Amino acid sequence: MNAARELQPVQTEEQQPRKSRFAFLEGWLYLLPSIILFSVFVFYPMFRTIYLSFFLADQIGPFEFAGLENYHYILRSDSFQSSIKATVLFVLFTVPATIILALFLALLTSEKIMGIGIFRTFFSSTMGMSVAASSVIWMFMYNPSIGVFSKIAEWLGLPVIQWLQNPDYALLAVSLSTIWMSTGFAYLILLGGLQNIDPHLYENARVAGVSYFYQLRRITLPMLSPTLFFIITVSFINAFQTFGQIDILTKGGPVESTNVIVYSIYKDAFINNDVGSASAQAVILFFCVLVLTVLQFKLGEKKVHYR
Amino acid sequence: MKKLLVGLSVLFVLFLTACSGTESASGTTEDGKTEIIFWHAMGGELEASVNDIVDNYNNSQDKYTVKPVYQGSYEESLTKLKTVAGTEDAPAVTQIFEAGTKQMIDSGNVQPVQKFIDEENYDTSQWEENISSYYQVDSEQYSMPFNSSTPVLVYNKDAFEKAGLDPENAPRTYSELKDAAEKLTIKEGDQTSQYGLSILNYGWFFEELLATQGGMYVDNENGRDGEATKAAFNDEKGQRVFELISDMHEAGTFYNVGQTWDDMRAAFQSKTITMMLDSSAGVKGLVDNADFEVGVAYLPHPDGVDPQGVVIGGASLWMAKDINEKQEQASWDFMKYLSTPEVQAKWHVESGYFAINPAAYEEDIVKQEWEKYPQLKVTVDQLHDTVSSPATQGALISIFPEARQQIVTGMESLYQGADPKEALDKAAAEVDTVLEKGSRSR
Amino acid sequence: MTSTKRISLYAVLIICTAIMMFPIFYAVSISFMDGKEVLDGQLLPSGFSLTNYVEVFEKVPLLTYLINSFATSAIVMIGQLLVSSLAAFAFVFMKFKGRDFVFFLFISTMMIPWEATMVPNFMTIQSLGWTNNYVGLTIPFFALAFGTFLLRQHFKTIPKELYEASQVAGISRFRFFWTVILPISRSSLVTLGIYSFLTNWNMYLWPLLVTNTESARTVQIGLKQLQTQEIASDWGVVMAGVVIVILPTLILLFAGQKKLQKGLTQGALK
Repeated sequence: MNAARELQPVQTEEQQPRKSRFAFLEGWLYLLPSIILFSVFVFYPMFRTIYLSFFLADQIGPFEFAGLENYHYILRSDSFQSSIKATVLFVLFTVPATIILALFLALLTSEKIMGIGIFRTFFSSTMGMSVAASSVIWMFMYNPSIGVFSKIAEWLGLPVIQWLQNPDYALLAVSLSTIWMSTGFAYLILLGGLQNIDPHLYENARVAGVSYFYQLRRITLPMLSPTLFFIITVSFINAFQTFGQIDILTKGGPVESTNVIVYSIYKDAFINNDVGSASAQAVILFFCVLVLTVLQFKLGEKKVHYR
Repeated sequence: MKKLLVGLSVLFVLFLTACSGTESASGTTEDGKTEIIFWHAMGGELEASVNDIVDNYNNSQDKYTVKPVYQGSYEESLTKLKTVAGTEDAPAVTQIFEAGTKQMIDSGNVQPVQKFIDEENYDTSQWEENISSYYQVDSEQYSMPFNSSTPVLVYNKDAFEKAGLDPENAPRTYSELKDAAEKLTIKEGDQTSQYGLSILNYGWFFEELLATQGGMYVDNENGRDGEATKAAFNDEKGQRVFELISDMHEAGTFYNVGQTWDDMRAAFQSKTITMMLDSSAGVKGLVDNADFEVGVAYLPHPDGVDPQGVVIGGASLWMAKDINEKQEQASWDFMKYLSTPEVQAKWHVESGYFAINPAAYEEDIVKQEWEKYPQLKVTVDQLHDTVSSPATQGALISIFPEARQQIVTGMESLYQGADPKEALDKAAAEVDTVLEKGSRSR
Repeated sequence: MTSTKRISLYAVLIICTAIMMFPIFYAVSISFMDGKEVLDGQLLPSGFSLTNYVEVFEKVPLLTYLINSFATSAIVMIGQLLVSSLAAFAFVFMKFKGRDFVFFLFISTMMIPWEATMVPNFMTIQSLGWTNNYVGLTIPFFALAFGTFLLRQHFKTIPKELYEASQVAGISRFRFFWTVILPISRSSLVTLGIYSFLTNWNMYLWPLLVTNTESARTVQIGLKQLQTQEIASDWGVVMAGVVIVILPTLILLFAGQKKLQKGLTQGALK
């Protein structure tokens, strides 16, 4: 899991020159289905989006060239600034918490004790929950009048918080439900990673009599780093693209506190009929994610331990 | 590997049948009937009711078949309609919410029902004028009203009694409202266990509170006298509404329920709030679920203002332009069927939406229903008392969805202690920008 | 491990389970309640009445939706497995000009938010006449960068000698791919299969956009259909719908948990 390394050609075969033309064609043949599909459903719409971002446009198509107007408009608007803030906060709230929670659960269940299989199944179960279904459940739990959170608060004599109505808490509430939804997947990956660590390393540590936390810091985490790196990257990308739970739980409100960029794009494109502005936001989002991913590969590569 | 191959081929066959099994959206069925597709946005309980009515229609005659299809929320179905308009996927009849009226007209993909009204001298005077006038533009009836509702003040009569208020006399003016809310609010230390009033953070309620004062939402007579160019809702009338919310929230008598209808009703049922503004269509469900007496009253208005009534909310039915003559006839026939007193009576009783044909109120099932739910009559009376004017006809703008978002953001900022005038001016400025941008569209 | 340690480990495990599983338990519990119980904010139903479940099936054609969801998810799964494994095979076992560039292009598609490309994609589907059927619901998802990536990582662990031997024996590349590579990568394929099945099963906005008829709808839309806007939703019925929608995926997950875990890690690690 390392960009530079990935991109180095792997010497899988020694090519004979006369065969290489055929191999060239055959190689592309295998890639053809993917290439066609990516071109039609990813690259074409991406270029179309970039193109549309320079126009005033609705769902049917562009109707007036606007130059950089969409970008100007977006960058000046408070709404976009709060979108950026919400997106960044959302990513910061969800990604580390998900990873830490999943890692904690994975460490707990890495011991081979009786009935551990059941617990593993439970902890990974949220992976099978659809965003639509999960969000409906959480929406109900957050309900200030009849939901379980306010019942617990009442029972404990704490003030009832309007989780989804209060701009100070809404993003936190959405993040909490997101953490729950994405833990299952992260947990599974990390658990697998833990199980792939050579048991001899631990035996040696036990003989040396080191503490659990020393072992965690010096053996487990370094050996797990490629897996961690993988799941962090995937979680980052997913967090930036969160849509469903926002749509169902808050619709971007209150006071735009949960209006993350992807939701703002959706709203402009599908409700406000302003495809030009939506496209410009999509382009900005794309470059942000691109830069972050490249940065992550560059920085992460130094920290990751390879066998 | 063999298993995989077998599985693959099975799936492939499935896949092909699925492809060939697709039906064209509108056409002729095997038995020679003309089939039309009817898109609607009625989920849950209402969908059952719509399906029922359509079934009855299909059985009532043998020329046409209507196929109802749910298409998501109002916003989602409008978006979908815009993208399929003009293609063969487009439905013949679509239900569109009131805020989408201008977009529909501008799209050029619909035809006014006025054409059919003129052709057979259909008597539109049987319709409720206050409802149909919303969908009249340049004195042409564009769409056929279908489900209409208005906002009402819903209150907990038991709580009124406990607080020493007259349960039969709901507050009418803002000062009465504030007083009542004050008395209804129960505080224990710094904890409030019961609040006076809630208004859903939904642009529609602001529009209504503005209209009942005779206030305009946008300039050019609410966009009905020409293209709207500027927001008009940030005048003193609009400010009164924002001030009311702001004052009451500050006094601790107003409870912010967010923007979900269900959350607001849950707060009412669980007695967190004692008064709220709700849609007339929701009244019956509230009465059914509450374990206390539910009262319904007219929308409150500021002191010293003559109430003008309400703008109708809800949705109407639109006919697509590019359909053949048979389908046009089928659509029109279906629309006419929907507006008959019997169907409207059934619809009113089952959904709580208004009957667009007042004759329905004379039907027996309605009379029985009103006996059981006297609250429903209040909602109808309020509509009848409405003075028809550009203010109560409602604004005609294509950027309604976005304008509503701006109002909602403004309302939400009030709970954060924003100044009412500033919040409203900010929303107005945003709406101005969007209006300007929208005016450049084709 | 000492017994106190063991007991405390179990205690922590049980507490974590209680917290993680609570939302699911809560949904199941509400699905058995009537309207009043829900609005009272009770935690447990007074009885196990199935009225809500019956009502769900009466209100929306959930059975059709379930079949559709199942079929589209299965088709996407097969499609993704085929397309991704072909591409991954080429990336690992063949060497040709431009390969690494193409690989980078593939990976970059992971970063494009799907919502951002939805409008043009919808137009494409429409002009191809793919709305309202399984084609529009499935084909756009056949190519998956994540899947190609995962399988590539796995294929790289296959000893090169195997490939060289097959070359010597004169087996064609495709036969090698079909009869050797795919069978020995079974665990990765199962993993990717489950992953893509779940992802597709959970899709919401796209199916709503490209289907206009009930005959082609999927369950996630059915879930939305159970909720109303202007009049009160019946929460018991909605939750019954939720339970029906999550049940198939949970069962699948429980059944394939071991394989899934194994396969996903291979992709992440090597």
